[in-house]
Amino acid sequence: MTRFWLATAAAWLAAAAFGLRAQQSGHATDFVSTDYYEPPRQQQVKSILSGAEALPQSGGVLIIKQLKLQTFDPDGKIQIIVTAPECVYDTQGGTARSPGPLQLQNGDGSFHVEGEGFLWRQTNNFLTISNKVRTRIIGGAKMISKP
Amino acid sequence: MKCLYFLALAGLGSLVVHAQTNLTATPATPHGPTVITSDTADFDLGGHEATYRGHVRVDDPQMQLVCEQLIADVPQAGGHVNHIVATTNVLIDFLDSQGRTNHAISDKAVYVYAEQGGTTNETITLTGNPPNPQMLDAQSNTLTGDVIVLDCQTKHVTASNQRIVYRHNFSGAEAATNAPAANSGGAGTNNLSAPKKNEP
Repeated sequence: MTRFWLATAAAWLAAAAFGLRAQQSGHATDFVSTDYYEPPRQQQVKSILSGAEALPQSGGVLIIKQLKLQTFDPDGKIQIIVTAPECVYDTQGGTARSPGPLQLQNGDGSFHVEGEGFLWRQTNNFLTISNKVRTRIIGGAKMISKP
Repeated sequence: MKCLYFLALAGLGSLVVHAQTNLTATPATPHGPTVITSDTADFDLGGHEATYRGHVRVDDPQMQLVCEQLIADVPQAGGHVNHIVATTNVLIDFLDSQGRTNHAISDKAVYVYAEQGGTTNETITLTGNPPNPQMLDAQSNTLTGDVIVLDCQTKHVTASNQRIVYRHNFSGAEAATNAPAANSGGAGTNNLSAPKKNEP
């Protein structure tokens, strides 16, 4: 987790220092935050949270536009990709939430989910979708096979 | 556990579908998407598991299922959904090989998909109704048992302590649409409890 916060801070410092992406309003573009597995896999990326924009709010909260969350297996294979137009990311609590829509899919897109309203808890990597959940499985559960 | 073969049952004018006698000759059929809808869902992204809650509905080209909670694997890229558990007020409508709709009622339905040594095992196990899971075919014949297992590959149904109730019309389909009053002595709809042993 420490690495995660360091990465987050570094991203902000870099944006502020170079002045390339930070704008006068205080928001940054191409926000990226990376989390790593615990030792001995500390070199392996666990998740990447990114956004087209990040607007800092009070209390360590960021409003992230065009959210993209990618989670990875310890062997580096992509597990899940979550996308949402906007979310509120609490850097202290390690949560991302939004009342708006989101989409989720696995690495090859054969498992695809849509819903409205979500909460992602970084500590246990749990995602709750609150409303209108619709999952589409392509070539997945065959259930009753046709003869 | 006594095994009920679809072919035998079909010969008795009852449940579900005909058995396949040559599984290896059965061509693989393209399978449309399976859609799961629900009020809410929790995804354990690390554990590859999804839990759907509230008005859960599964629409599959070969079946529909409704229940209150459903837990399913989240397949990895190139993977397959190997395990689904549906619980609470589980209702399943599924098509047999003749395209007829059959129904199943249970408290719990467990779908398991496994490949071992080139063999695919794909089953749905029904338990608890209460007291027992129940299957109904298009003619309203019913099968109950402590546990009912539907083998999706072989089209066999296996039930423990099964009981079959036939709803048979002795005078054919015409009478079924205009059945005389009960106790009239004529042909009508009757419930017949099948003997315990149903093997051909």
